[in-house]
Amino acid sequence: MRKAAILAWNSWQENLRGRYFTLAFFFGLVVLYMSVILGVLAADQEVRVLLDFGLGFIELMGLAGALYGATTTILREMETKTIYLILSRPVTRGEYLVGRFAGTMLSVLVSMLAMAAMHLALLFFKGWSWQAWYFWAFLGAFLKVFVTAALATFLAIFSSSVLTALTISAILWTLGHFVGEIRFMSAWGSSKAASVPLTAAAYLMPNLELLNARDRLSAPPLGLWLGYCAAYAAVWLALARQLLRRKEF
Amino acid sequence: MGEAALVLERVTKTYEYSHLGRTTYTRGVESLSLEVRRGEAFGLLGLNGSGKTTTFKLALGLLRPTSGTVSVLGGAAEDPKSLSRVGYLPELPYFYPFLTPVEALRFYGRLSGISETALGPAIEGVLSAVGLASSADRKLGTLSKGTVQRVGLAQALLHDPELVILDEPVSGLDPLAIKEFRDSLRKVLEKGKTIVISSHSISELERLCARVGILKDGKLVRTLEAKEWEKGGLEDLFVETVR
Repeated sequence: MRKAAILAWNSWQENLRGRYFTLAFFFGLVVLYMSVILGVLAADQEVRVLLDFGLGFIELMGLAGALYGATTTILREMETKTIYLILSRPVTRGEYLVGRFAGTMLSVLVSMLAMAAMHLALLFFKGWSWQAWYFWAFLGAFLKVFVTAALATFLAIFSSSVLTALTISAILWTLGHFVGEIRFMSAWGSSKAASVPLTAAAYLMPNLELLNARDRLSAPPLGLWLGYCAAYAAVWLALARQLLRRKEF
Repeated sequence: MGEAALVLERVTKTYEYSHLGRTTYTRGVESLSLEVRRGEAFGLLGLNGSGKTTTFKLALGLLRPTSGTVSVLGGAAEDPKSLSRVGYLPELPYFYPFLTPVEALRFYGRLSGISETALGPAIEGVLSAVGLASSADRKLGTLSKGTVQRVGLAQALLHDPELVILDEPVSGLDPLAIKEFRDSLRKVLEKGKTIVISSHSISELERLCARVGILKDGKLVRTLEAKEWEKGGLEDLFVETVR
């Protein structure tokens, strides 16, 4: 995995020197500005609104960065032919894929942490005191972004189209929050023609409901979270690797 | 050491494009058999679309043959062990514009498996060999085409490969850069390495190569030895062959 780590570091360097992290600064400015407006609108619920709004925005910004990175990195390298000088070296396609994915996720994690730091600073300034739920909500948001990015990587290589991969990933991210409802509908339906595709879809799409910290009364099952996300991402990345192995350049 | 550096046996590559349910086929190379000996400089000549780049990509595992076999330094083309002993300069080497030449070479060197202790001296050596020392710390995105081409040669030679594949390496270079390029390649040959080079500059191949293969419509139609062009020149033989 040394080659994958080298590629991941190269992706991180590219994002660090590019405009990727301006997103995090943009987020800080938006949150600061919104806090002024929310202060007026939310009256005595200002901190609560700011907390929910900020965490939601961190997840959306992380998702945007991850989907952009997952769908464009490899396709751009194919288009600009920078991939030639990598794959003409002793680097397997699996190492290449894992390295690029890990580099994107490292960049996303750091940008989400930077946004969370700014968000927390604002919350503390408004008088909020630390609660462990913030950590669980942040971890859940990152894991949601992680599994959706793995799916997006597969879709990008499968479709060879950034727009298609982005669109389908965004739809699946939305539907992934309704997996429970989809499973309920599939069990409820009497016709097999309707229930079988729904059941299959429920297993194929990421179960993002599982990762919603706000839906839980007690601390989330960390082992289940990590195990599910690792297995789900591994399946889509393995399929993506198979597709990449068949590709010619 | 006895085996050939590059062997293609009856290799055919057909490109397949599907669009709206309609599939079209384009020939890349057809029944191509070629053997490049170790330690020689072998040139590939041909008009545009004759199959030179396809041949190189087949040798690097970037393309897979539709039929036939490709062997590189005794192993399969896609085998990482073979690739670790090959250096490649594509026709238009694209680099990451945010890196400096030193950073790019460090990246490619690590991917080629050079140890951290050997990497620094290897980069220094190759930078001075291709005359890049003065531009080593400027961003690649700001460098001229000729300088980028030198970085391309540097990354191809960095891991001291046994086989160097160069696709149109002198296109767009000024006369002085071409001469320096040629001198660098001569040093590579003196070290017993094998070079396979394609170029539209017939005079370059004349000066550097011991043998030249002429491709026409994806087929190797003629192989010439240096003694054959010493009298009349390679250009006439090439024109006579491809017309």
